[in-house]
Amino acid sequence: MKVVLRVLAGPAGALLLAFVLAAVAMLIAGVSPLDGFGALFSGSLGGRRPIAETLVQTTALLFPALGVSLAFRAGLFNIGAEGQLLMGGLFAGAVGAHFAGPGWLVIPVLLLLGMVGGGIWGGIAGWLRARFNASEIISTLMLNFIALSLAGYLVAGPLKSPLASGAETAPLLPSGWLPAFPTIGSLSFGDTRLTISILIAIATAAVLSFIFTRTVFGYELRAAGEAPEAARRSGINMPRMTLIALALSGAVAGLGGAAIVTGVLHRFNTALSPGYGYTAIAVALVGDLNPLWVCVAAFGFGILEAGGLAMQANAGVPKDAIHVIEGLIVLVLAARRYFATRATGAPV
Amino acid sequence: MHQHFELVRRLRVWQNIMLGREPRKGMLVDVDGARSRVAELAERNGLAIDPDALVEELPIGVQQRVELLRELEREPSVLLLDEPTAALAPAEIATLFATVVQLAKRGTAILVVTHKLQEVIDYTTRVSVMRHGKIVARYLTTETSTDEIARAMVGGELPQVAQREATGTQPCLSVRDLSAGVDTTTVSDLSFEVSAGEIVGIAGVEGNGQTALADAIAGMIPYTGAIELDGSADALKHRENIGIVPQDRHHEGLVLNWSIVENAILGRQNLPGIRKGALTNWAAARADAEAIIERFDVRAASADVAVRTLSGGNQQKLLVGRALLGDPRFVLAYQPTRGIDVGAAALVQSRLIEARNRGSAILLISFELDEILALADRVLVMFRGKITGSFSGADIDRGKIGRLMAGLT
Repeated sequence: MKVVLRVLAGPAGALLLAFVLAAVAMLIAGVSPLDGFGALFSGSLGGRRPIAETLVQTTALLFPALGVSLAFRAGLFNIGAEGQLLMGGLFAGAVGAHFAGPGWLVIPVLLLLGMVGGGIWGGIAGWLRARFNASEIISTLMLNFIALSLAGYLVAGPLKSPLASGAETAPLLPSGWLPAFPTIGSLSFGDTRLTISILIAIATAAVLSFIFTRTVFGYELRAAGEAPEAARRSGINMPRMTLIALALSGAVAGLGGAAIVTGVLHRFNTALSPGYGYTAIAVALVGDLNPLWVCVAAFGFGILEAGGLAMQANAGVPKDAIHVIEGLIVLVLAARRYFATRATGAPV
Repeated sequence: MHQHFELVRRLRVWQNIMLGREPRKGMLVDVDGARSRVAELAERNGLAIDPDALVEELPIGVQQRVELLRELEREPSVLLLDEPTAALAPAEIATLFATVVQLAKRGTAILVVTHKLQEVIDYTTRVSVMRHGKIVARYLTTETSTDEIARAMVGGELPQVAQREATGTQPCLSVRDLSAGVDTTTVSDLSFEVSAGEIVGIAGVEGNGQTALADAIAGMIPYTGAIELDGSADALKHRENIGIVPQDRHHEGLVLNWSIVENAILGRQNLPGIRKGALTNWAAARADAEAIIERFDVRAASADVAVRTLSGGNQQKLLVGRALLGDPRFVLAYQPTRGIDVGAAALVQSRLIEARNRGSAILLISFELDEILALADRVLVMFRGKITGSFSGADIDRGKIGRLMAGLT
């Protein structure tokens, strides 16, 4: 029994348990788990195109998950990555539609604008918390709805492209498109949606990891999250730290929005995110808020997101089942603490 | 009876005492019956109390009396007291034990857990010494001494506390007309100085404004008046000039999930030498951690283990070691030996005296009068946010200080 509990307390055991539970769910729905999982994995890892699509989903999740991790490490529950992602995309898309110039100038500017947009959105919540002690849990969540409505209004009105039938901005000029993922040997990704944005995301993770472990700012940010009272007494300006951490957290998520606009959509509309900002919270937690492990977790969730569509098409399992699996993984990981306590008598 | 009060602060004395065992009249609480029962209980045990007083408005010593009465109401045959005198002034301690001794004479078995050896000698009949969760010695009180008990607690000879050396009297920290704090924990119009090479002890029962004083000096709360280091208020803001041992090591001093190395630079993270540009100089941090581990005998497998895994005594040694690193001009030590064993406490006290000998000005705030008397060159007594007495050298008088701590003159 102890051995079982110890296995369940590890991340691998948690994944295993989640998949067993998902298999049970499929059986209840009348689908063979073998067919279901077969479709899931062949649709996400079975070839060049599925892998490219998995990496596109990984990237979309990774930016907001890194943003969420940064805030969580500072002890701030930023659940507003969705809104910050949208605002980042909106800033990049609104300007990109009218910005002509060479790619080396346009692309960095649009990505920077994405960080500004997301940073402002996160910063608002940070300022409300720092100035009025307003719970960032509530304000970041509410700002998601404001972002969605605001963006929806702008793309249906002032920013609407006269040529488009739907609510979206005018397309970016091709010089604002992110380059395709580089060819590796004979493996070319020119005909897929995969761009260098995955490399930018991984570089961002590396930068965050460096900030956390090597800089005084990162040290103070972690102190603020781990032990607020000790941090305050060590001379850290806590309101200022709150503002900076939430603004930075939003900026990283916003960078993700700009990466989707410049890399995938080449314009902005509110369908930019099917909820990446919310799934990102799970990704960040599964990755233990450690930027490098968050990359791994984002890849895992990327497999589920990309494979889910294939599973729906080829095995008749509704795509929503993927969200059931994602939910199960988070639940089981949350239960890790319990399993670990039972196995060792001490909390993890 | 628990070490920390388990009282409902917003309820009255009789409500606290009868909580969970209220006499009833049909569906209602028999208020008159309960009140008279509490009054009779207090009378019988010789513990004066107003049954209708709100607990939160009572002084600590009286709250302790309520705790005791609540336990006595059950007419126990065994009474367990966990550090019952932690928050009491000497006079209140005598009153408490007078009651307890009476109970014992009437046939109640009483077990007292305490770290104050003099209380053991004064009031008990038998002593057991615990170390690392085991009973290591048993004595009849009449056949033992505080020294013998202390040796059993440490498991060997007590380390000698460092000797005091003559030092100058250059004023270092000066506090003038200081008022700070809110509600019950305020200080008003405090003025005193601490010289370089001097330990000034603030004696007083917990809750008489010590926290407000410490927080004001640490810059954690707003205040009026002046606090200056070497004649400058700004100098106090420079971390290299001051070392602070906060009262609550778990919440105010350490990040429990972090390693010793990470904790060794908390509060010092922006000092030149630790900060290099935007980066943390982890090699310097590690060197500091190793220095603290060696000088303060912090028992840990390595400097990389989480502070959470250390014993309270080792955590406290780390905390004091960090505060004394680099011989700061001024050290604020708030309960520096709180809740640690006598061996660790003796080491911490020695290091404080050594820092004094090297010229640090030290303000020692402690609720343990013995600690103040052992360490301080000068003793200030604090009562209800004011300094009510000042003693130095040969004038230090335990009896007088004790009375002032209780608000007597």
